[in-house]
Amino acid sequence: MGENATALQISLDRLLDAPGVTGVALIDAVTGLVYGAAGDVSEAGDGPESSELAALIAERLGAAGAEGELESVVLTSRRRHQMLFSVVRPAGDPLLLAAGLDRERANVALALRGLGDRITEVLA
Amino acid sequence: MSAATARNVPALLQALREEEFTGTVRVSGSPGGTIHLRDGLVGAIETPGAPNATSALLTPGRIDDETWLTACASEPDADRLGAHLVSAGLIGAAELEIVCTATVFDGAFAMALSPPGSWETGAREPTLVAAPGVEPRALTEEATRRMGLLARVGVMAGELARARPELAGEWSSDGAGASGGPDGMGGLSGFRGSSGSDGLGELVGAVGARAASGAPGGRRPEPWLSGRHRELLGGVNGRRTPRDLAFAQGRGLYAVMLDLSRLEALGLIRWGAGTAGGDRPSTAPRVTPKSPTATGPAPAGAPLPKRRPGRSPAWDRRERGEKGG
Repeated sequence: MGENATALQISLDRLLDAPGVTGVALIDAVTGLVYGAAGDVSEAGDGPESSELAALIAERLGAAGAEGELESVVLTSRRRHQMLFSVVRPAGDPLLLAAGLDRERANVALALRGLGDRITEVLA
Repeated sequence: MSAATARNVPALLQALREEEFTGTVRVSGSPGGTIHLRDGLVGAIETPGAPNATSALLTPGRIDDETWLTACASEPDADRLGAHLVSAGLIGAAELEIVCTATVFDGAFAMALSPPGSWETGAREPTLVAAPGVEPRALTEEATRRMGLLARVGVMAGELARARPELAGEWSSDGAGASGGPDGMGGLSGFRGSSGSDGLGELVGAVGARAASGAPGGRRPEPWLSGRHRELLGGVNGRRTPRDLAFAQGRGLYAVMLDLSRLEALGLIRWGAGTAGGDRPSTAPRVTPKSPTATGPAPAGAPLPKRRPGRSPAWDRRERGEKGG
């Protein structure tokens, strides 16, 4: 954490304290713009791709009858997990918090709970 | 390369970054704009082509007007206004950073939609700035990416920005359009959608078709729309450009263009046949074909009475034998 770290950078750096989290990024869910990142950025995922992926999944779920119920997406590979959380804003376009986790060090259920609980802190 | 020999705006900004320049770059053209730099980083962009950070905060009601005016009175130096807003508890520092950063990228995108004219550098002008600011190279790369993405879906960004979308087919005549809300921006009760702002369901434009029960009357199933898309659709009336819609809702121009292209793909809107004249955003007063323009000739008919120096209209009436009021 640098001497001139911004408030957003400090918030994202704190999320790296969660067990197994290797990288996080805050992404504009509409434009894919990455507002900030911490840790291994490549582990968190590419901004435009993450936003497109989240939109695609929500679209398919909506086609199946779900209506605005989705809060997070978890992708699991042999070595890692990638999680996408929606971040509530008082006003403005929605955001995504993308997190990459080391599968050997992370518990998916605990990570979902822990990161989900701390999302509101990101915009503080 | 130095700022004096820069051949284009990105090169100029890069040179000013190396010089750690603090001040403004005024770019002429349509839309043109003012780029505010702090230590070589881009802190704000003000352009008629896209809402700035102040609009993004006030238009959606994130900060109300009265509170804003009070804050401005308390902190006259706009450069320090952001810190004041945060210390007053009106907005979180990270959220303000996001709002300001988003408008910088959006302003750069709006200015990149048409070739710039000349530019000149100037002294610092106080404004609400993103801290610490955005690297000029990141701005250029993001603007290029945005242009490329729109081109990938078959849309020329410059043309799209000047189009005037209108409701398409059946959606335009059944009350699902712009007349739903008191301000013409609400309504659309016929569409399924997310009423809240939480959940990833809010992220997408249209999510599938109506449930298996189908729409009444054998019409096309009504798509599910998020609140964001319903609000945008409510503002479409065939007269507003994407820029107009962005200003009306306090959203980014690029985000509005992406959402409009999604609505168009769903068949809910169509791009108007005409576009705004020239490269300029629709800031000019509307003039109907038969009405005189501001610089055109006076309308034919009875000439206006000639005013003679030293004489009032009341004097003229008395001279003509009329009774005064």
